[in-house]
Amino acid sequence: MPSDGQRDIGGMAVAAVMIVIGLVFLWDTTNLVDSDSVVFPRTVIFGMILFSIMFIVWNFLRPSGADTEGVQGGSTPRRIGLVAAMLGCAFLMPYTGFLLSGLAAFMVIMLLAMHEGWTRGRLIVYPLIGLAVVLGFYGLFAKALLVPLPEAPFL
Amino acid sequence: MLPGIDFLFTALTPFHIALALGGVIAGTVIGALPGLTATMAIAVLVPLTFYMPPASALILMGAIYTGAIYGGAYAAILLNTPGTPSAIATTFDGFPMAKRGDGDLAVTLACLASVTGGFIGAAFLLGLAPPLARVALAFGPVEYFWLALFGLTLISALSEGSLMKGLIGGCFGLLLACIGVAEVSSDIRFTFGSQTLLGGIEIVSALIGLYCVPVLIDMVATPARHLQVSGESRGFRLNEALRISLKSKLNLIRSSVVGTLVGILPGAGGSIAGLVAYSEARRTSKRRERFGTGEPEGIQATESANNATVGGGFIPTLVLGIPGTPPDAVILGALLVQGVRTGPHLFTAGEGSIVYTFIYGLFLATALMLPTGLLIGRYAYRTIVTVPKALLVPTIAFMTVIGTFAIRNNVSDVAIMIILGVMGWTLNRFGFRPSPIVLGLILSSIAEQGFVQGWTIGAATENLMGMFFGRPIAIAIIAFMLLSLFYPLIARRLRFNREEAGAK
Amino acid sequence: MTKLGKLTLTAALAAAAATFGLAGPAAAEFPEKPVNYIIPFGAGGESDITARFQEPFFKEKFGQNLVISYKPGGGGAVAWAQLNKMPGDGYTIMGTNLPHIVVQPLQKDVGFTTDDLVNIYIFHYTPDAIVVNEDSQFKTLQDLIDYAKENPGKTTFSGSGKGTANHLAQVRFDDLAGIKTTYVPFKGTGAAATALLGKQVVAEWGYTTVPAKYQGMRLLAVAMEERHPKYPDVPTFKELGFDLVSGAYRGIAVPGSTPEDIRQKLADMIDEINNDQRFIDRMIDGGFAVTNVRYGPDLDAFMEKAKKDFAAAAKAADVIK
Repeated sequence: MPSDGQRDIGGMAVAAVMIVIGLVFLWDTTNLVDSDSVVFPRTVIFGMILFSIMFIVWNFLRPSGADTEGVQGGSTPRRIGLVAAMLGCAFLMPYTGFLLSGLAAFMVIMLLAMHEGWTRGRLIVYPLIGLAVVLGFYGLFAKALLVPLPEAPFL
Repeated sequence: MLPGIDFLFTALTPFHIALALGGVIAGTVIGALPGLTATMAIAVLVPLTFYMPPASALILMGAIYTGAIYGGAYAAILLNTPGTPSAIATTFDGFPMAKRGDGDLAVTLACLASVTGGFIGAAFLLGLAPPLARVALAFGPVEYFWLALFGLTLISALSEGSLMKGLIGGCFGLLLACIGVAEVSSDIRFTFGSQTLLGGIEIVSALIGLYCVPVLIDMVATPARHLQVSGESRGFRLNEALRISLKSKLNLIRSSVVGTLVGILPGAGGSIAGLVAYSEARRTSKRRERFGTGEPEGIQATESANNATVGGGFIPTLVLGIPGTPPDAVILGALLVQGVRTGPHLFTAGEGSIVYTFIYGLFLATALMLPTGLLIGRYAYRTIVTVPKALLVPTIAFMTVIGTFAIRNNVSDVAIMIILGVMGWTLNRFGFRPSPIVLGLILSSIAEQGFVQGWTIGAATENLMGMFFGRPIAIAIIAFMLLSLFYPLIARRLRFNREEAGAK
Repeated sequence: MTKLGKLTLTAALAAAAATFGLAGPAAAEFPEKPVNYIIPFGAGGESDITARFQEPFFKEKFGQNLVISYKPGGGGAVAWAQLNKMPGDGYTIMGTNLPHIVVQPLQKDVGFTTDDLVNIYIFHYTPDAIVVNEDSQFKTLQDLIDYAKENPGKTTFSGSGKGTANHLAQVRFDDLAGIKTTYVPFKGTGAAATALLGKQVVAEWGYTTVPAKYQGMRLLAVAMEERHPKYPDVPTFKELGFDLVSGAYRGIAVPGSTPEDIRQKLADMIDEINNDQRFIDRMIDGGFAVTNVRYGPDLDAFMEKAKKDFAAAAKAADVIK
């Protein structure tokens, strides 16, 4: 929620990062051969840098409050775990095949998303459902839609 | 007398009805799964056309296409993730509605709007295809450039809080889309030597990353339910939805016409149709302030417009051989392999059998979408609401991974999707919303191509000003753009004057 | 089974074997399962369409499906960079496009070099051609050249992308004819044709496939050795005195680990499809031109020449440094 008179530090930090990104991209445009591929991105970069500078300056002169939400409760380790599991799945895919990495990621994320405590019934049923979901989607994509999903080299 | 009415009965054989029904159901499911696109499903079915009469194969493909465009609304409403790019603007109001417990109503509204849009688009295809195909040709590079800018003006509407942040986000999106091989000049840009970035950022995987991954990140962190639920089951809420739809029939019709027209433009497509219709609905609505917070009119505008692009997109495809949308390109390819030559002659009495059978098949599929859409929608809603988090989160996460991979059969896209998701989540913490970034991503290549081509032609003919500001359609788009930017100001001024006058 | 029945069956099998003329047992075994055919572009493009032309013939002749899938990205480079990491058992093949596979590695590091790709067959090409609208003021190529000479730079051509066959042909032809024209790159042949139909440009550097696909267009000249059978009235550039034979070639490559006999076998198979008159007819009707550049010395010589020519043309077009 915006609170008046407060400087939006987070927003300013993001704007500063955007300026840096803009400069890096701007440097890359100097290596391009064809002017046709330079005009548009340069215009956009100048716009982005300009807006970022304006944002920072205005925030200094007339702080109009921050709409920075911060992290709204919840468990940060679980968040990081989810992202790690998904990234792990993507990076393992070429080595273990899609089925194995997908199944592993599913199970890890299931553990992370469990807030209610495991009962014996859940312990049996949930992994089975997970297996069914993964196999079902695998079948749909690989067999019905002929998507060449990565296969495990050792299977 | 409707053109080619004789073929209505050719279309209505039990075989065709079965094909249309199966196609709509399959399409709806495909559209609902983020990453699965109509293009992909239709491409898989192309070999079928070798064994089937062309008209039957076309009916099946058209039905899948129609269903997929509608199915995109489910994920948009229930997961804040457009299942297809066409449903981007559906998330703006659909997800807020679902969050406050009206997900079932939103799904039903989307279904009614999609059916309306589908019918209007197909009607234009049936009655006015050859003349309307000219629209596709009247749009040159400059018109596309201005259309893209018009789309970008939506940033001002979508950036809650700080406009400046919205503009920065929009530029960031425009820039992200430049990564990879430049569309028109073949230069390889902004890859910084990385093979992962060589293919650029694929739009659908970016959508999944920016919209869906942040939802997952927050879902996994808390035990609270994903969506609000009311105690008792309220069925389809069809009466309520019908009442709302009747009240905004003007919005539905206008959005459908917008959708048809944008669908005709080969360089635009469903996502832009939805955005333009949303922008127009917002501009003309009395409840403008409520757009973006769960306003039914927003969903209706987008969903009717994107389904109208199905019929609209077939107009240039069948008349000129220029595919209006990516699925149309695949269908056109299948027709070519069959030896069917597209052209205005397809719409004449002698050779009309394929096209008219197909168009009536499209009507049939659209009609079938009403019952199947409502049923599948209700089921999808129930599932999302009742499935425990420990299963819902991994299932969606798994779907995003497999779906993103399948778009281009590339693991790099999966990694990019997840990283964009983390980025989107982080930026959102600081008040930089994903929607302006997504707008930039989608419109970037259209704007760039239009600009570079327009500039090249303008410079060659020594008429740059005339090129960008002198063409009638360009002027009209610029006028609409200024109108939607400044309309709120003008409206306030007018109201103020009237009150002044009234006070005197 | 009766003796007579057995005899008939044996005779039928022998007759079938004779008809198909299979060469030895090793050849008879491959393919045992569907072959994956990866197109490095999206569905619906010309690379896809020509693959779709091959698909039914493959099934008919070899009894297995040719499963077409798409791996678009980086103008094809993403797929080509991954090709050699794929299993080399003959069940994975990939479409290749020239000049793409020559020009891209010269521009930047795209993860593969032209020589990395093991092409087994170049099965057709789409010849470059100058396309105008049916009602265009230009009746002959000379009309267009005269116009360009009077309006240097103002003659605009649409075309598909830069560094492509269209673009290189434009640069080449400007040089040969001593004119100066403006090339406007569009995203793909479809968009370039749309721009011509909409009269955004004066003419298009397109392919012989363009009038086959879109209504209301004429060709002024085609960049072929001989006239295209579909357009017997359209002269070649050569006839008109310009030494221009060019186009976009499409081939099929296999992963580097594919054994020699499988390469040969696959080349035989593509060759068989390429020599089927029904396939040729379909291709010609679509505006394509069939080429029979087979794995071996032919293909090596072809690639050597292609590398030299396209690299020189790309340099002249300022696409590479």
